[in-house]
Amino acid sequence: MKKGILYLNQFFGQIGGEDKADFAPIIKEGLVGAGMLLNNLLDDAEITHTLICGDNFMGSNEEEAVEKLLGYLEDKEFDIFFAGPAFQAGRYGNACGVICKAVKEKFNVPVITSMHKENPGVDMFKKDIYIFKGGDSAAKMRNDMTKVAEFGNKLLKGEENKGADAEGYYTRGIRLEVFREDEKLASERVMDMLLKKINDEPFVSELPIPALDRVPIAPAIKLDGAKIALITSGGIVPVDNPDKIQSSSATRWGRYSIKGLERLGNRSDNAFKTIHAGYDPAAADADPNIVLPLDALRAYEKEGKIGSIHDYYYATVGTGTAEGEAKRMALEIIEYLKQDKVDAVILTSC
Amino acid sequence: MNLEIGNFKVQNVKFGKTSSFEAGTLIINKEEALAVVLEDEHITEADLVLTKPGDNVRIVPVKEAIEPRFRLNGGPTFPGVTGKIERVGEGKTVALKNCSVLAVGKHWGSFGDGLIDMSGEGAKYTIFSKLNNICLVADTDEAFERHEVQKKNHALRWAAHRLAEYLGSIVKDMTPEETEIYALDPITKRSEKTKELPSVVFVMQPQSQIEELGFNVLNYGWDTNKMLPTFMHPNEILDGAMIGASYMCASSKWSTYDFQNCPMIKTLFGEHGKSINFLGVIMSNLNVSLEQKERAAMFVQQMATSLGADAAVLTEEGYGNTDADFIECFKLLEEAGIKTVGMVNECTGSDGTSQPLAALDVSADAIVSCGNVSTLLELPAMGTVIGELDSLMRDGLSGGWEDDDELGPSVREDGSIIMANDSMFCGDSVLGQSIKTMKEF
Amino acid sequence: MVKEIEKAGITVVQMANLIPIAITVGANRMVPTISIPYPLGDPLTPKAEQWKLRYHRVGVALDALATDIDDQTVFEV
Repeated sequence: MKKGILYLNQFFGQIGGEDKADFAPIIKEGLVGAGMLLNNLLDDAEITHTLICGDNFMGSNEEEAVEKLLGYLEDKEFDIFFAGPAFQAGRYGNACGVICKAVKEKFNVPVITSMHKENPGVDMFKKDIYIFKGGDSAAKMRNDMTKVAEFGNKLLKGEENKGADAEGYYTRGIRLEVFREDEKLASERVMDMLLKKINDEPFVSELPIPALDRVPIAPAIKLDGAKIALITSGGIVPVDNPDKIQSSSATRWGRYSIKGLERLGNRSDNAFKTIHAGYDPAAADADPNIVLPLDALRAYEKEGKIGSIHDYYYATVGTGTAEGEAKRMALEIIEYLKQDKVDAVILTSC
Repeated sequence: MNLEIGNFKVQNVKFGKTSSFEAGTLIINKEEALAVVLEDEHITEADLVLTKPGDNVRIVPVKEAIEPRFRLNGGPTFPGVTGKIERVGEGKTVALKNCSVLAVGKHWGSFGDGLIDMSGEGAKYTIFSKLNNICLVADTDEAFERHEVQKKNHALRWAAHRLAEYLGSIVKDMTPEETEIYALDPITKRSEKTKELPSVVFVMQPQSQIEELGFNVLNYGWDTNKMLPTFMHPNEILDGAMIGASYMCASSKWSTYDFQNCPMIKTLFGEHGKSINFLGVIMSNLNVSLEQKERAAMFVQQMATSLGADAAVLTEEGYGNTDADFIECFKLLEEAGIKTVGMVNECTGSDGTSQPLAALDVSADAIVSCGNVSTLLELPAMGTVIGELDSLMRDGLSGGWEDDDELGPSVREDGSIIMANDSMFCGDSVLGQSIKTMKEF
Repeated sequence: MVKEIEKAGITVVQMANLIPIAITVGANRMVPTISIPYPLGDPLTPKAEQWKLRYHRVGVALDALATDIDDQTVFEV
């Protein structure tokens, strides 16, 4: 018999209403409220404990709340974690998202919750946890809890996940390939989609265009006296590629000294070369400065347009590189940039 | 322009005294066949190895696949490659179906080479596991590129194309078992009924990124990098005008075989005169500089518009920077009021969280997706390897690696492998044969 | 990578050929280069001309770092 734990807010945890929204987190043995429904719907598993926390307590003291809640779980054995359903309640949705994400990170068990599509918790957490498409009020409790329990059963039994749309949870931004059961050829799918589009009939694209992810604009700097660092994803490295950076799908990066160097020597000089497999290497091997423009930047340093060039440049390879890897590498490089008090970066790519 | 392709279905292949075809069996006189290969002195060693679906065989590094064909007017099967240039796509051509010639390196692999498993778990990842394969396993004196990651593989590829022509010639005097007919009248001379149907162009963007000659897709022997988009009759593509490149990551590759059998063109032909008026093919390319991408998209837009296309199918041979070409064309076609559907593969990382295409635009609202180049494939050892297994991890194939901190090397001591779908030979079947799609998890 | 650097508050300018991709990736300050294999110097031109182009575009990149912007901006070269 597998074990599960359920998180509820102060209302569904039968502590009180809005007046008890500041309720500090507790753990109860056994079932509370809708936990009974969930327990009945689970096949080979039981809900052993219930966590209860006031929505305001979580909202205003997130760190403390999470610490306490995770603390209660430390000595418990459990295979799966549930929260909510939160319906349209925004603070509850946030709380469910926060606790589910934290439990997943610490205990590495499947975490499942449910929210209405307009609950702000959906956009905030859908990438991190399974959030099932839920109803707009507690009247939908049975419906929502059933979907959550069914999926929980699936995961515990190791059954095949049929994908976000088929199962009923919000897409998590994870796209993987599958062999179609109907084995319909791509050319036929194109023909179908084309005829529908021509005839103004509705169709469903197999690749929905995701919304672009933007970051706040960093402020303009004063060039006078500034320390500028050079970074490249064009794969310019010392000829022996000492860090063994891969030519594609890179997971490694390098930090190379350019202290006192006027310009990068080339491959024939046994100095630098490119290892990027995504483009013709001839030009870059002959003159790496065309990818990492050290020579030009030195000229500006001499003229006094900038204060100095950071003693090191950073390199990796940008072709086929997974976003997650690129992000991790960037965070590691940023540590050095901050340590060395770099003011701004010129990033070149191929 | 009428093209008749006379088919002979190959059920099995064996070596024998006289090259012939009888009751489904293709018999190859090995010496004669190899003589055609060895015409080029740059080939230093060559052998033919046969394998069929179900064999406990792994083939790597595979550089090209070609369907054996012969043109009954006696002209070259691949003008500009196996002989002088002349127009194809008209008259009669014979084809040996259910088989292919594979150009396999005896030792040396390159970035765009791929892998094929003829049975077991790995077989479903490529259509070539379903064919009788005649593997030309050879080594060359091309020392200049032996240790380069990017190779032209010229000698081997040309030899394989010559071999495919030789094999096709075996049935030149025989009556085909069945005939496929591809007929498309000149655009302005079609029946009124056809002209009233929505008109469709097929826009193809073959690989042409390398500026040095010898790597890219060839159009009648001409490097597609040195091309501006042009208008072609679909029969030309089906009849040997285009040959595959020696550069593209294997799962995204359009091999010569894929061009010859282009499923998308066949599907469009199938609907021609019924639900659409198939105008023809706009052959574009995938050059590297932004200006060239913009210029090509402009030409595609102008041609499609001037031809009066109501709709278009758009497909690119590749991913990464070429997504910019795909999106640019999509945008411009839609801007011109031409309803477009795209057919591509994606690169979402082994965990599926990376952005599917490197460039995006809201106008690209209709896409059929053929697979994920980043899918991690772990496959057991196979009984026999045709080629050299170590090439997968040693020679820079895009989906193989020498050592990875988490996954270890692509080739393990016991012969089992771990690789990315990126190096599955024509794995994503991006010209229309893919039965894969992408789903949100 | 460019987004992470900017998120950390370090001003960054992306020099790339494929501006549509740089825009999709979310770079805020961008300077176009002339090609993928040779972003800042066409090997078919004399060294002096390559130097001139590289010096000029790196200058534009530095000025981009010193310019206030409201939205993703591609700086003219």
